[in-house]
Amino acid sequence: MFDFWRKRKSASVAKDRLSIAIMSDRGCKDIYPFMDNLKKEIVEVVRKYVGVRGIEIKKEIDGSFEAISIDVFLEKDR
Amino acid sequence: MGIVIAVISGKGGVGKTTAVANLGLGVAMNGKRCAVVDFDIGQRNLDMILGLENRVVYDIVQVMDGEASLKQALIKSKVDDNLRFLAASQSKDKRVLNSKKVQKLVKELKDNFDYVILDSPAGIESGFEHTIEFADAAIIVVNPEVSSIRDADRAIGILDSKSQKVKDGGEVAKYLIINRIVADMVQSGEMLKSDDILDILNIKLVGKVPEDSGVIDASNQGKPVILDKHSIAGQAYKRISARLCGKKIDMKDVEVTDSSLFKKLAGIFK
Repeated sequence: MFDFWRKRKSASVAKDRLSIAIMSDRGCKDIYPFMDNLKKEIVEVVRKYVGVRGIEIKKEIDGSFEAISIDVFLEKDR
Repeated sequence: MGIVIAVISGKGGVGKTTAVANLGLGVAMNGKRCAVVDFDIGQRNLDMILGLENRVVYDIVQVMDGEASLKQALIKSKVDDNLRFLAASQSKDKRVLNSKKVQKLVKELKDNFDYVILDSPAGIESGFEHTIEFADAAIIVVNPEVSSIRDADRAIGILDSKSQKVKDGGEVAKYLIINRIVADMVQSGEMLKSDDILDILNIKLVGKVPEDSGVIDASNQGKPVILDKHSIAGQAYKRISARLCGKKIDMKDVEVTDSSLFKKLAGIFK
């Protein structure tokens, strides 16, 4: 009879499942709120050493594995 | 010049048309000239909820095609002089809509009314896109249930990318109505709280509407539930309408049951 107390309330299950589903629906770009700052700071750091033409940050999900892939495009004639 | 509000949901059956009928009437009862427009071509329903199904002569497509003037097609509400209704076409296909025609119609409505409320079709296809295209604001209706909330988020995403206001560098105001809240279930943790829904969707709340059997009774009769003084949903729509008209009305906590209120009170005296 104590099963009732051990069981998680379904509303909180719903919240977790929804948050994950909606995140993946929305796609990569709005997933991390810090993405724009991250871009700016990386560009600043790399620029100390070499000219930067652009930057692209992607969130990648592979099963339970989550990663950020960062591509920094350099200027041609350096 | 008026304000154009698109009422959207993503998922069907969450109470969008009921919301349009009640908010339209509610806004009109606040003394504003209001037009409610059924954009659900091929599935006309707003006429039934308003009890005006026998008065439809011309529809939205005939107005857009110049077969009737807007004035001819607008139907006066039986209960409030400030409210007018424009019916959807029942026979035509929703593909008859195009941006130019929609823009012209929306502009004419905007010039003649304080509030123009558009009832969007469910889904996120062309009919939906035309409804949101020239809107100044959107009201998103959800039920506290996973599929409704997920679909609403998709609809909001499309709103943010396809709206003309956004394309012009502006922003569409977005407001959420959470419909069909069952207080007992929220209290026992079996239904999502409105705070959780707001966290997930990240938009402003304009009202919470409790589950109420009076809504079906009202639609059976073609008398919007806002006219029923004893209906808790009707009261909720009254509050939301007043907010839309710029009045400051406190958010009533429809998620609290009488028994949980009692527990809170008892807690104070412990």
